[in-house]
Amino acid sequence: MNGQTVVKEQESPMKRGNLRPVEQRVVTIAVAGNPNAGKSTLINAIAGSRLHVGNWPGVTVEKKEASFDYQGTKIRLVDLPGTYSLSPYTQEEIIARDYLVEERPDLILNVVDATNLERNLYLTVQLMELGIPVVMALNIYDEAQAKGYRIDVAQMEKMLGIPVIPTSATKKTGLDQLLEVAVSGEKGQQVAAPHQLNYGEDIEAAAELIAGSLRNSHPGLLERYPTRWLLLKLVEGDAEVQKTTNLTDQSLLSEALYHLRRAHGEDLEAVLAEVRYSLATGLTREVLKKPELPRTEVTEKIDRIVLHRVFGIPIFLAAMWIMFKLTFDVSKPLADWISTMIAGPFKHWAEALLGLIHAPEWTVSLATDGIIAGTGNVLVFVPMIFAMMFFITFLEGSGYMARAAFVMDRAMHAIGLHGKSFIPMLLGFGCNVPAIYATRTLENPRDKALTALLVPLMSCGARLPVYVVFIGAFFPKNGGTVLWSLYVMGIVLAIVMGFIFKKTLFRGDAPMFIMELPPYRVPSLKSLMIHTWEKGKHFLVKAGTYVLAVSIMVWFLLNLPWGVEHKRDSYLGQVGAAVAPALSPLGFGSWEASSSLIAGLVAKEIVVGTMGEIYVKKAEEKKAEKPTFAQDLQTAGSGLVKALGESVNNVTSTFGVSSLSTAEDAEKLAERTPLREELKKQFTPLAAYAFITFVLLYMPCVVAAVAMVQEFGTWKWYGIAFGYQMVLAWSMALLVYQGGKLLGFGG
Amino acid sequence: MIPLGLLSTGEHGEIVDIKITPSGGSCCEKSKCDCRIEDLGLRIGKTVQMLNNGSPVLLKVDESRIAVDRSMAMKILIKEAGR
Repeated sequence: MNGQTVVKEQESPMKRGNLRPVEQRVVTIAVAGNPNAGKSTLINAIAGSRLHVGNWPGVTVEKKEASFDYQGTKIRLVDLPGTYSLSPYTQEEIIARDYLVEERPDLILNVVDATNLERNLYLTVQLMELGIPVVMALNIYDEAQAKGYRIDVAQMEKMLGIPVIPTSATKKTGLDQLLEVAVSGEKGQQVAAPHQLNYGEDIEAAAELIAGSLRNSHPGLLERYPTRWLLLKLVEGDAEVQKTTNLTDQSLLSEALYHLRRAHGEDLEAVLAEVRYSLATGLTREVLKKPELPRTEVTEKIDRIVLHRVFGIPIFLAAMWIMFKLTFDVSKPLADWISTMIAGPFKHWAEALLGLIHAPEWTVSLATDGIIAGTGNVLVFVPMIFAMMFFITFLEGSGYMARAAFVMDRAMHAIGLHGKSFIPMLLGFGCNVPAIYATRTLENPRDKALTALLVPLMSCGARLPVYVVFIGAFFPKNGGTVLWSLYVMGIVLAIVMGFIFKKTLFRGDAPMFIMELPPYRVPSLKSLMIHTWEKGKHFLVKAGTYVLAVSIMVWFLLNLPWGVEHKRDSYLGQVGAAVAPALSPLGFGSWEASSSLIAGLVAKEIVVGTMGEIYVKKAEEKKAEKPTFAQDLQTAGSGLVKALGESVNNVTSTFGVSSLSTAEDAEKLAERTPLREELKKQFTPLAAYAFITFVLLYMPCVVAAVAMVQEFGTWKWYGIAFGYQMVLAWSMALLVYQGGKLLGFGG
Repeated sequence: MIPLGLLSTGEHGEIVDIKITPSGGSCCEKSKCDCRIEDLGLRIGKTVQMLNNGSPVLLKVDESRIAVDRSMAMKILIKEAGR
């Protein structure tokens, strides 16, 4: 963290007379607080777009940071994960604690929920042990006042010895004052180290004893850590601290702790927790006056309906349906517009540009079919990812996400998961990628991994084009039923696989379910936008690079060796031919089919594109004249306007009667295209069904893979998903094809 | 003393004992297992209200609403305090 102490020169009055670069003061502020205390809203309100989101090293817990100038001081905000305590039991707690102890920030900004003082102060008491100056943001102060709470701020400051500033992150009050106190601290030393709270005679005596003997036996050790914190941890018997300090020699400690253990029993950690909690209780009693008659809160009124035994699940499903529909209705026209732009104007312009400089033909193909098409594969996801991230952020911010988990908990127990996993699974039907990112909301690593493994079995939107082509060619009469059967197959297999994983990879009891249901709040638009943008950007940058790389690779595979004439002789064709025998028991052992499946690695809808390229060779080359630049520009502009119009229109029609024009879909299904005619020659209906079964189940696409690797920081889970899905796809397609033949559906 | 899980919706009680052991399924990976439950404010001496007795159960402690598994609620013993 020392890397940024010297900041580049700033405009300051000192500069004129003094040519030396001015070293600017840097104050590192760690922001700590309970989950749901409004910490991120507060940080957003302070730092806004200057926030930078990354991960804590080695884990997938988000790390938010922001650097900015405030009155000539450079402030570096580091957001710690929300925790209820600083014990070393959850990943979040360990991160927060390690940061505070090892990095020693200049100041801790403790965000406290004023409507829930006692529990929040429990963390404050622990933060004060660290000897780092603490400033408290008494957040959600407006709500506390509205509830009739009277908090004696001056008394609180006096008792704790730290500045306490009432704030409301949503209304943006108190923020300036907060920053002012934070930066003033270092100059005039106004923010001194907090009081040392008295933990009771026997504990203090034991700590003193340990300090005494450590000074003799381990000189320098006490100075290396926050002294009081170290002593208290040693009294508690904290295993992590004993390990890092090499104090495994228990004799020294047990002597000092002899009396304590006699009086309170062996579990001194519980004793200390009790002491801290009673301090928090005592403080709360001193400073907080609640109104005599508690009113029934709005939150409870809403919960009575939303968590209702009978209505709870229907309400949840309705909420999901609306979110789902809005996401796809809003993003579909835009995604379509992007893909027409890629296939049309962009391609033409690139061709024209490369034509101007007389580039060889293969570079034109690489640029258009490889790079531009590859970028397109990423870009078409963008509207959907952003729309979905927006709705997820909204559900999280409003407090409903926790209710959804509550309502679905019982049903999800069957496959060894908790209610919270239901949301990622459902999102999977739209696109597996945001679904995998949505597993972020699950704290437990076991639940997270298991959910991510099952998500790819939810049939995503990208598989639909493949189904549509085959259904159109082979099952035009009962297309709906065939389509439905595929979705159901995915769900049934998810239940089966969930059960198998529960018995094998994830043995042992499901971790207990314990979760706080935060009060309902209206999330601020700014905070919604920031979070949506951060989540979306993450996808764009990371997934974008990988998908582009793989698209270019596939292009080379299809066009190498140099000057290959027939696709059969390209590397992709050769690999396809090599793989084909393995697929022949499934009914589609041709090099064409296997090559298309391999290309589908990038994204499953590419299977269709590749088939088109392979099967329908140069059937429709004789297209009309290419449109001019001006025409292209016009199509682009009017297309965008039309797409935006449709998006808006779809939002309103979601709530109206008219939706999803089924007539148009039916028309699409029955359409006769060259590809369909060709497929009819190559596949039997049974083989076609086996093929789409395979497409449903075989490995997650590259984007999903990237999402998985990114979320878990390891290739392990993607490896498992890849393996089990390949096996599953192969066996199910085999079952369909051979079983179907046995039953006399023809081969 | 009755298990918290037996309170009906709307009833109150004071926690007198928490019998959650590592073997009975844990809320966290490490040895100590009532850690989060206590950090969330479910402690001996606290008055809790049953907001929704289903599966899972929904409790109110101070100003927080906390959902826990039924099995967990059965391991928290309380002294009934009526409605």
